[in-house]
Amino acid sequence: MKLVEFIRPASLSAARDNLRELGPNGMALAGGTALHFMQQHKPGTAVDITRLGLSYIREEGDFYRIGATTPLSDIQRYRAPRWAMHEICRRISTHQIRNISTIGGNICRVFPWADLPVVLLAMDAKMIVYDGQEEEFGADDYFSSQPAKRFLDGQILTAVKVPSLQAYHGFGSVKATRNAAAFALVTIAAVLELDGNHIKSARVAAGSAIPFPRRLPSVEAALTGKEATSQVFKEASEQAGADAPWRGREGMTPAYTKQLAEVSILDALERAATFARGRSE
Amino acid sequence: MKKSPQTVTFTLNGERKTFITEPDEKLLALLRREGYKGTKFGCGQGTCGSCTVLLDDRAVYSCLLYAKQAEGRNVRTIESVGTYENPSEFQEELVKNGAVQCGYCIPGMIMSATSLMETEETFEDEIVKEYMDGNLCRCTGYEKIWGALRTVLDKEAAKKAKEAK
Amino acid sequence: MSEYPNLKFKQVNNSVTKIDAMQLALGKDSYVADFAPPDALVVKMKWSPYPHARIVEMDVTEAEKMPGVHGILWHGNVPRIVHCTAGQGAPEPSPYDTFMFDTKVRYVGDRVAAVCAETEEQAMAAINAIKVKYEKIEPVFTVDEAMAEGAPIIHDEPEAYVPIPIPYEPKKNLVAQVGCEVGDFAQGMKDADFTFDDVYETPYAQHCPIEPYVSLAEMSPAGRIVITTSTQVPFHCRRIVAQTLGIPVQQIRVIKPRIGGGFGSKQEILLEDVVAMFAMRTGRPVLWQFTREENFRTGRTRHPIRVKIQAGVKKDGTITALGMDCWNNTGAYGGHGLTVVSCCGSKVLPLYRCENIHFLGKVLYTNLPVGGAYRGFGATQAFFGMETTMDKMAEAIGMDPLDFRRKNHIVSGEGSPIFAALGEGKEGVPMTVGSCALGDCIDQGAEAIGWENRTDWREKTGRYRRGMGAACLMQGSSVPHIDMGGASIKINEDGSFNLLCGATDLGTGSDTVLAQIAAEELETSTDKMIVYSSDTDMTPFDVGAYASSTTYLSGEAVRKAAADAKGQILTTGAEMLGLKVEDVHCSDAEVLNKDGTKKVTYGEIACYALYQKNQYQIIGTGSHFTQKSPPPFAAHFSEIEVDTWTGQIRVLNYISTIDCGTAINPALCEGQTEGGTLNGISYALTEQYLFRNGRMTNASFADYHIYSMRDKPPIKAILVPSYEETGPFGAKSVSEICINGPAPVFNNALYNATGARLYEFPFTPEKVLEAIKAVKK
Repeated sequence: MKLVEFIRPASLSAARDNLRELGPNGMALAGGTALHFMQQHKPGTAVDITRLGLSYIREEGDFYRIGATTPLSDIQRYRAPRWAMHEICRRISTHQIRNISTIGGNICRVFPWADLPVVLLAMDAKMIVYDGQEEEFGADDYFSSQPAKRFLDGQILTAVKVPSLQAYHGFGSVKATRNAAAFALVTIAAVLELDGNHIKSARVAAGSAIPFPRRLPSVEAALTGKEATSQVFKEASEQAGADAPWRGREGMTPAYTKQLAEVSILDALERAATFARGRSE
Repeated sequence: MKKSPQTVTFTLNGERKTFITEPDEKLLALLRREGYKGTKFGCGQGTCGSCTVLLDDRAVYSCLLYAKQAEGRNVRTIESVGTYENPSEFQEELVKNGAVQCGYCIPGMIMSATSLMETEETFEDEIVKEYMDGNLCRCTGYEKIWGALRTVLDKEAAKKAKEAK
Repeated sequence: MSEYPNLKFKQVNNSVTKIDAMQLALGKDSYVADFAPPDALVVKMKWSPYPHARIVEMDVTEAEKMPGVHGILWHGNVPRIVHCTAGQGAPEPSPYDTFMFDTKVRYVGDRVAAVCAETEEQAMAAINAIKVKYEKIEPVFTVDEAMAEGAPIIHDEPEAYVPIPIPYEPKKNLVAQVGCEVGDFAQGMKDADFTFDDVYETPYAQHCPIEPYVSLAEMSPAGRIVITTSTQVPFHCRRIVAQTLGIPVQQIRVIKPRIGGGFGSKQEILLEDVVAMFAMRTGRPVLWQFTREENFRTGRTRHPIRVKIQAGVKKDGTITALGMDCWNNTGAYGGHGLTVVSCCGSKVLPLYRCENIHFLGKVLYTNLPVGGAYRGFGATQAFFGMETTMDKMAEAIGMDPLDFRRKNHIVSGEGSPIFAALGEGKEGVPMTVGSCALGDCIDQGAEAIGWENRTDWREKTGRYRRGMGAACLMQGSSVPHIDMGGASIKINEDGSFNLLCGATDLGTGSDTVLAQIAAEELETSTDKMIVYSSDTDMTPFDVGAYASSTTYLSGEAVRKAAADAKGQILTTGAEMLGLKVEDVHCSDAEVLNKDGTKKVTYGEIACYALYQKNQYQIIGTGSHFTQKSPPPFAAHFSEIEVDTWTGQIRVLNYISTIDCGTAINPALCEGQTEGGTLNGISYALTEQYLFRNGRMTNASFADYHIYSMRDKPPIKAILVPSYEETGPFGAKSVSEICINGPAPVFNNALYNATGARLYEFPFTPEKVLEAIKAVKK
C-alpha cells in the first residue's frame, strides 16, 4: 500500500470510526512490517493505533493478557511461572523486527509463514476484537479462515489472552529454519496435559509448510489416552499427513517437508512432555 | 491523487526537530536527506541492518519505518555516538581490534550494541546474539566485531554489578 | 619452507590500526551515496522480464513527457558499440558481446531502457510507461541445453567478436575453451591401482556486499565527466565507459571513495556508462543505486561450474593421473568466463604432484544471470571436486587423508607444468614455488581441531553424529606479466608523505597495508602516510583489486616508489650534513651518519628541499608487474554435527590456517580469513539461487541466506608464517584462498560422520538426508 495519509486517532472508538470511513483505503498500523509484504500501489491511509494503550502484558486470573500492539521483543523478554510465549518470539525474524512488529500485526492478516497462529492454536488462546464493544474468539474459531476478513469494517484486535499453563501442562515448539532469521520450513507447537506419564489431552498445531496454520487432529487423537513415550510420539507424528498437505520449501520436495515435519512434531512433543513433567503446580 | 506535504516532529540526537515529510516517506530517506548519512541503505527490505537507528532506545530498521511513525518520539543515529576526540568505548574497541573492514555495517552494529548495553544488566552470549542478529556483515565473519563487543560488555557488566551494590 | 630472514620489521608484520577505521565507525560521509548532491537526479532501469527475447518495438514518447523525467536511454538513442563489461586488462580475454542497450534481451534482468528523473517515484512511473513489444525466443538454462545440437543461439549479433586469439564460437553458445595436457593421462589412469571418475556441480551465489551497486556522475565546471563509483577497477571503468560512450578517456575522471564491499562483484562496469551518459545529456548530477533485489537478479554472480574429476592412485599413495573437465555456465554474457575456468585448473592442479594431467575447460552461454569475478574465481568450484577426490583416494588406499596430502603436496623449490601451461587468456608463466608453509598449516590445523580424536563413521550411532573433515588449498598472487600497478610518494614539511596509488581498497585495508610497506621502506612510521588511492586523475594507474594482487603487486610498486623517494632524501640529507651519500643512512625518520652524531630529520629535509636551497619536490615513483604468482597455501579443518533424522548440519568449529608469506598486517589478514571463510561456509550450506523460468525467486536476504552473528560457528584463523622472496617484505596474498575451503571440508566431514558424500551443494538438509539413506555400510 502506498501511504498518502497518516492519521493518529486519540481513542479506540475514533480509530474504529476512521477505519469504517476509509473502508478498503484504510489500514490499521502498528509496527507496519506487514505492509511491506502487501505489494499494492493502491493509495491508502494509515491509522496509527500504537498510542491507544494497547501495549502491555499482564496477568488476569487464569490468563496472560497481551495488548495487540505489544512488540514481539516485549513478549520475548517477559518471564512468568506459567508463561511460554517467549520461546517462539525469540525465534521470529531479527531483533529490529521484533522491536516494532506486534502480536496483533502477526495475527490480523495471517501469512503462510506466520509462527504465532501455530502457537496460539496449540495454547487455545483467545483473541479480543473491538467493534464498538469487545468480543472474544477462541483460537479454533479465529484461525479457521483468514482472520483479515474479520477486520473489514473498522474492527480492531485489542488483545490476546493466553491461558496460563496449569499444573502438568507443558508447552513445546519447534521452528525448523535454514538460518536463525529465516522463515520457517515448518513450525510446530504442542501443549500436553499429563497425568503421571499418561497423556490426558493434546493440542498440536502446524504452520509454514502448509497453506494456512492449523491443528493436527489426527496427531492429537493418536496421543490422547496414551503414554507419553518416544514410540507413541513417533507414531502420532506419522499421522500428520492426514491433516496437513505438506508443501515443498526452498527448492526442497514435499516428501522432505513431511520427514522434517514429523521429526519436528516428535521433538516438540518431547519438549512439551519434559516441560509438563517438571511442573507439579 | 493529492499528495500533501506534511511535517513530522521528533527528538533527533537529543534535539527536538521538525522536518518536512510525506506520509509515504521512510525514516531512512528523511534522515539521509537531512544530512544524517551515517545511517546506510543496504537493502530497503528490513533485513541487513545497515539502516539501524534507535527509536525510544530500541533498535529498529529505519528503512521500514515511516517517518511519521517517529512523531513525538526519540530517535538516535550514529551521529550521536562518539567523536574523533571522544569516541565511544565500543568504537575504540572496534578500531583497535581490527573489526572495521568496509565499515558499511558498523554504524548499524554500534546502534544495536548501544541498545543492548543500555537495556540489559547481564550479557550472556545468547542474549548478545539475539540483540545483534539483525545486523549483517559480509566482510569480517563477525569474529573481531564479537571480540570487541565482548570486551566492552564484560567491562559494562562489571560496572553494572558494582553499581547495583 | 622459506625461513624468515633475520629482519626486524618496524611497520610491516604489525597490526597497525586501519587508517579509515575510526572515520567509518563514526559514520562520517564516506561512500558514494553520501556524496550525492541534493539536486542529483535518480536513475531507474527497466529490466527484461524474459530470459530470451527480441525487442521488436519500443515506444518511450509517453514516458519522456512524464513529470520530473529528464531523460531516457534505450537502443534507439545511444551508440551501438560492442564491448565487454568485465574489468580486466586490455585487450580483455573476453568476447565483446555487450551493447549499452541492445535490441535483444538475454536474461531476466538484462537492460531494456533507463530513465532519469527528479524522484524515484517519478522514475518508476516512467519506467512503467515505456511500451515494449517482445518476441520471445526459446531460452537455454543449462550447459547441456546450450551445447545441444540446434540450441537457440544467444549471441547471434554480427558485431560480437573476441579481441585476442582464443576460441569463440557463439553459434554453438561456446564462449571460450582452454585446455592442456601433461604427460600421458590415459596411461596414468591405467597405471593406477584405484581410479575415480565423478562429476561435481557447483551453484550460483551472489557476493552480497552490504553496499549494493551504486554510482554517481557529475559534469565538472570544466565540462568533464566525474564518476564517483563503488568499483574495484577505476581505471578499467574509465576506459570502458570511454569506449562504450564513444568519447575520449581524457573526458572522464573516475573516483573510488570508501566502498561497502565488493568480493569481485564490482570488478565490472555495470552502472557507470548509464550515469555518465545521463550526466552528459542533462548537465545534472545523476545517482543510480541498485535495490537489493536488483543486486541479486541483475548483478554479477558466482559462475556455476560442472567439474568432472578423474584420478588414479597407487597403493603407495602416488597420484598417477589427474584429469579435470569443466563446463562453466557464464550466463548471458561472456565477461570473466574464460579466466574463471582457467583458474579451475591453474589454481588447483599444481597443488599435488602428478606427471599425467589432463585439463579441459569450456565456457557456455545460457539465458541466466551473468557470472562475474567472485573471490576464489574458479578455484573455489574446482576445489570442491579436487579435495573430495583426495579424501576418496586416501580412503581407497587406507591412508589418513592428511598423510596422503602431506605425501603429495607441492613444496618449496618445486614447480608444476600447469603453471606454464595455463594462464588467463594466454599461456601461463613457468614458476617454482618459493615460500610454502603448507606442511605447518596442516600440522597446526590438525592440532587445533583435535584430529587425533577422529573416529571412523562406521563406529558412529545415534541420531546426532559428529565428523571431522579437512582440505588443503592454494590460490595465486597477481596475474604475472599482465597486470600492473603504480604509485608515487611525495614529502611534506613535517615529514609526512602523500602516498598516491591506483590500488583499490574495498574495505580490505589496502590503503593501510600499502602505507605500512611505504613506511617500512622509508624508515618512518605508518601514521606519517596520507594515503589517497583510486582516482584516475590524481593517482598512478593500477589494474584494481582482483586476483589477490594488491599486496604482492601494488605493494611492490609502492615499495619501489618509497625506495625512489628514499634515495632523494638521502641525497638531500647528505648535502645538508655536508657528507657523502655513501656515509649516511635512514633510520626512524632521520638521515644520520654512521655513529649518529650528525643527523637531520625528514621534516628538515623537506623544508630544505621545498623552500631553501637547490629546491625540488622530493617525489618517488614506481611501477611493478609481477614475474610469478606465488601461491598462498592453507589447510582448513572443521567438526560438524549431523542430525541424521532431518539432514541438518551444525558446524561446531572451523579452523582456517593460512600461509600468506609475511602478514603485512596480521589483524587484517585474520579478518580476511575469517570473513572469506564464513562466506564459504554459507555458500556451502545455505546460499542458493532458486529459479522459475530463468527468474530468481528468492531475491532478498529473507530468502537468500547469509549468516548473522547468531548463525555463525566459531572460526579461528591461524597465520602460519613463511617468507616469499619475490614479494614486498616477504608477502604473498590472503584474501581469496579462504573461501575455497568450506564446501570440500564439510563434504569430507559429512563422510566422516555418516559415510555419505555429496556431489553438489548447497548441502540442503534434503540432499544430506538422501545421501545418508543411500549409504551402505
